[in-house]
Amino acid sequence: MPHTITAAEEHEDHLHHAEDKLRKSPGARFGLMYIYAANAPSYLESQIVSLLETKGDADFEVWRDSETGCLAVMLPGLALDQVHFRGLLLKQQLQERISDLHPHITLASFPEQGEPDEEVFRQMANLSRTSLSEDIHIFTKVETEHSAPGRILVVDNDAGMREFLQIRLRMHGYETREAEDGLAALELIETWQPDLVLTELNLYGIDGLPYIHQIRQLKVKEPPKIVVLTEQRVEQTISRCFEYGVNDYMTKPFSPVELDARIRRCFY
Amino acid sequence: MLRDILLIYGMLAVYYVMTVNLIYFSILACSFRSIMTVFRRAAFSKYNTLSGSELVPSVSLLVPAYNEEVTIIENVKCLLTLNYPTYEVIVINDGSPDNTLGVLCKEFELEPMESPGLRNAIDCEQVKAVYHNPKYPHLYVIDKPNGGKADSLNAGINLSHYPLISSIDADSLLEKDALIRMARMYMENPEETVAIGGDVRIANGCVIENGQVKSFSLPRKMWPMFQAVEYLKAFLGGRIGWSSINGLIIVSGAFGMFRKDYVIAVGGYRGGYPGEDMNIIIKLHRYMLENKLPYKVAFCPEAVCWTQAPDTYHILSNQRKRWGRGNLKNMLENYDMAFNPKYKVMGLLTMPYNIIFEALNPYFKLTGLIALIGYAMLDMTHWKILAVFWAVNFVSGYLFSIGAFVLEELAFKRFNRLADLCKMLGFAALKFFGYSQLGALWRVQGHIQYLRNNNSWGAMTRQSWKEESKPAKQA
Repeated sequence: MPHTITAAEEHEDHLHHAEDKLRKSPGARFGLMYIYAANAPSYLESQIVSLLETKGDADFEVWRDSETGCLAVMLPGLALDQVHFRGLLLKQQLQERISDLHPHITLASFPEQGEPDEEVFRQMANLSRTSLSEDIHIFTKVETEHSAPGRILVVDNDAGMREFLQIRLRMHGYETREAEDGLAALELIETWQPDLVLTELNLYGIDGLPYIHQIRQLKVKEPPKIVVLTEQRVEQTISRCFEYGVNDYMTKPFSPVELDARIRRCFY
Repeated sequence: MLRDILLIYGMLAVYYVMTVNLIYFSILACSFRSIMTVFRRAAFSKYNTLSGSELVPSVSLLVPAYNEEVTIIENVKCLLTLNYPTYEVIVINDGSPDNTLGVLCKEFELEPMESPGLRNAIDCEQVKAVYHNPKYPHLYVIDKPNGGKADSLNAGINLSHYPLISSIDADSLLEKDALIRMARMYMENPEETVAIGGDVRIANGCVIENGQVKSFSLPRKMWPMFQAVEYLKAFLGGRIGWSSINGLIIVSGAFGMFRKDYVIAVGGYRGGYPGEDMNIIIKLHRYMLENKLPYKVAFCPEAVCWTQAPDTYHILSNQRKRWGRGNLKNMLENYDMAFNPKYKVMGLLTMPYNIIFEALNPYFKLTGLIALIGYAMLDMTHWKILAVFWAVNFVSGYLFSIGAFVLEELAFKRFNRLADLCKMLGFAALKFFGYSQLGALWRVQGHIQYLRNNNSWGAMTRQSWKEESKPAKQA
């Protein structure tokens, strides 16, 4: 049985592997590990394969996630504690073999930790890549629910600004759409039902404050959270916006890192 | 005897033409001197940052409306989305017999205010009610009996809450940045700037969507095209230059910004006659000069307001007659300023220029024509001389137009198609064959109206209001 994927197959989406497997035996237990190292040598993948082979695992599979550059390891039949143990062992052995390696590992076992799906896999890969701690991260079910990335509607007059925000938010796994003016935004909120609206106040079509008010009045199942990102720095307007129930207010020029943090907070 | 008179007249006419061209080109030179400053401040100012700043002074926009039920909603919505930190929009319904007030109240769910807090800074018709909705905190609508445009503006001033006021025609469209650009100019010299005029452009032919001019192109019809050339000449070639020597005599009623305290000090807008936009500027000049206060009436060519130009002969001629009437009234009222050194540039240059070369211009043209017949009959002239004289006149006028286009291209670069530029140049030439003569005729007709209707102003004004609102409806 081939334990690694050939170069030709590497182009394929990694998710298909996991999902193909799931489809063959739905409900079957399996463990999943995402390993990311910032300065990973090219032979890391083969190292992992050989280490796992020596442990005598029968049916594991390793592939590279092209999107994040993580290595994914699927271990059928393992419960969480077993996966965790395997992870610890693997990390230790890797660090013995390759000096100066700092692998970030996120692992989980399914279905014990929730319904595995595409979104969960992407989340795990992203967590490994963005995690700051070198400890092994156990991907929990609670996290699955909350960190399920949301849909964000980006509203701004300036095409450059919309593009920048969208690229950045997508990097963090959010699903995004854009609207150029207030009226288009209101329409999209109703039809697309985003979880959060990231909006400028100075828009064509509708005045800023009534626009915010109108978003609140829209008949949607779950009213979207609103984060205002604008040039408008007049105190009175800011306080009006909070009265109308916006979740956050940031002024341009803004720090992208701060924006990320504030948006993330809206989802927790 | 007749020969002598004609000879003297001929000499006078030559000097007249020389002087007027000299003034034109001096003004054009002044415009050229300041155009690069205009370009740089338009290109390098950070309007976005400014438009959110708490330090920018607040403005009350005054929008007089008479029979505007068709377009008022869209215009108000557009005015409510300007890039500006703090401002309010005050629509003054001037006793429209149509449903202007009704559509406004319905769209914005307005309710009459209990205590609107009107000051009586300036006399005006008794206000019936002020409408407001806390959901649209920046919008007020005044309902009052009919009293003309000036009276509406005065009522607006009485309600306005902010130190600057800006008058805007209900049928014109402001660019999103227009107000902040003006405010930037005001903030350069807030002590001395008493009024700022904006650039008015013809929107016929442009694609307008959601209150935004999406693509600029020239009007397709003949009358708006002539006006487009005319406006470009007047605003870029003329007003930039006049404002650089502080001799600006008019801030367009379609879009201008004023310091409220001085407008109140001069008694607000004068009712009863058209031409209240020129009148308020003359009064400001007079007040500031008589009180020996340093001041400036500025022109801000980068703040753009788009307007629908009349596109039929009938409406255009009515508009021009009205202008002629208002202009004559203003000149008669303020003739004492002319040639009075006390009034500096205003008294020594602007007023004489406007009286002799603007108001009386058609009469010189007319007598010139009669004299020409005289010369021909008495065999005093030769067709070659006439041809040379006419050619010089044409070339100087055409050069002035070209000068204005060059200014436009230097600072704003709006004509990015060669075809547009050629069209402009073509119409600038065509203007000399018919349109200029019509302009003189309309002005004379305006003067005749003034003399005839000396005692029936109220009726006249109401009528002219109707005329003014016609193009808006057709737009």
